[in-house]
Amino acid sequence: MALDLLTKKTVQVQDGNDLDWQTAIKTAAQPLVDNGTVGDDYVQAMIDVVEKQGPYINIGPEIALAHSRPRASVKRVGLSLLKTNSEVNLVTKDHPVKLWFVLAATDSNSHLGVIQQLSQVLMDSDRTKKLLAATSTDEILDVLKG
Amino acid sequence: MKFEALCQSGLGSSFMVQMNIQNLLNQENVKENIEVTHSDVGSATAADADYFFLDPTLETAAAGLPEDKVIILKSLVDANELKEKVNAILDKEGIAHD
Repeated sequence: MALDLLTKKTVQVQDGNDLDWQTAIKTAAQPLVDNGTVGDDYVQAMIDVVEKQGPYINIGPEIALAHSRPRASVKRVGLSLLKTNSEVNLVTKDHPVKLWFVLAATDSNSHLGVIQQLSQVLMDSDRTKKLLAATSTDEILDVLKG
Repeated sequence: MKFEALCQSGLGSSFMVQMNIQNLLNQENVKENIEVTHSDVGSATAADADYFFLDPTLETAAAGLPEDKVIILKSLVDANELKEKVNAILDKEGIAHD
């Protein structure tokens, strides 16, 4: 699979009805905290930057790519994904999101390969549609294998 | 000719846009040498590039850049939108493409 950082452990699907955007980012990032890729402070930094700078992580329709600058608690490049079956508004209702990607980078270059691969998937509108419609982790992994 | 993709941090989405523009220029068989880079919106100045690509949430942050050099991408992952907007620039600049 092109995006081999996305696995059964780092991809989650939830209903999303009871989530706000902060919880969605925390939930999406939790597998990376659990496996030691990032610290809790990185998760908070991703939330803080949106609170300060606005919903710029909304990179495409219903797609968010949460990330912050490299920091000490980021031990390696990381990527995780939470798919919410219902839309969760990122800050405002103008930014509804169902695909919550979390990216962690250790420097300005280490993550470029991941972005490249992710971009290839997201620029393919058929695959993005399938990801948005997927209701299980296995379904998502199948689409990513593409 | 130089294009620069901008995002808030200069780390993630701007690189994605840079790559997508490069791929598109290849697909369009553009022979002219067009440099494509990425940066964060805070450090970009008008002299850095001929055209800047950014998403609507950065419009205010990019207010210091000349309006006619700023291309707003509603989605960073919409191949059709990117193609339309890049080709419009190529046509305007008289740069041959497919």
